[in-house]
Amino acid sequence: MAGALAERVFAEKLGRAGFVDVWVGAHRPTSIDEASQYPLFTDEVIQLMRETIPPERHDHVATSVIVKARRPDLDG
Amino acid sequence: MAKDLMFQDEVKEVVRGAYAAISTGGGRTVAGRIYTDDELAELPGGAVDWALGVGNPVLFALLQPGEVVLDIGSGAGIDTILAARRVGPEGLAIGLDIVPAMSERARAHAAEAGVDEWTEFQLGDMERIPLPDVSVDVVISNGVLNLAARKSRALAEILRVLRPGGRISLADLTVEEELPPEIANDESAWAG
Repeated sequence: MAGALAERVFAEKLGRAGFVDVWVGAHRPTSIDEASQYPLFTDEVIQLMRETIPPERHDHVATSVIVKARRPDLDG
Repeated sequence: MAKDLMFQDEVKEVVRGAYAAISTGGGRTVAGRIYTDDELAELPGGAVDWALGVGNPVLFALLQPGEVVLDIGSGAGIDTILAARRVGPEGLAIGLDIVPAMSERARAHAAEAGVDEWTEFQLGDMERIPLPDVSVDVVISNGVLNLAARKSRALAEILRVLRPGGRISLADLTVEEELPPEIANDESAWAG
């Protein structure tokens, strides 16, 4: 999660890489409680998140999205 | 001494080490939030137990029979297996992961699902995909691009292996507000 980009930056990187028809959708908030269900997060970092992230953001610390795009056709 | 996560190679090692160290995935709690009941019914229980994704890229990929699909960061194979069912035996589903134990689990799960004849799992890095240019119709991934220290390089590699007109369907996390620095530099928060 620490390496996640802002949605706008993600879309810009795709465009700069050469992708076209970039679409971002299926937005779903991710909470600290949900993050705690992944074994990759230690108990310590989950506790750190609860302590350092403002309580009003605990239900939405990140957003799960689907990003679609395509490589241009040969004719562009 | 804590690692300085500003160093990109250390980020990669932190991620590889974290995924190699875990002994289970998010299980049905995570999988049930992401996949439909019909999709879960298509999957071996072990693959579901190892669910670590954040979305459902296969659902949005609109895969067609006969297509070649690459699943970057395939883990224990859950999305690769779903993709293999969509592309069928006339297609090919390729899983790519940097953790050998994950690829071994994925192979076992694909065999249990009965899709192993048109599924393969390779060990490799999204920043250096071990596939030829223009060899793939669709690239999917699930909660993986955020793990890349060099995201632009990974995207360039994805573009390279895609055929003209080829498409991507990536499930990932985005953040609109910066995480506190204590978290942004925590190894566990990078891998999770």
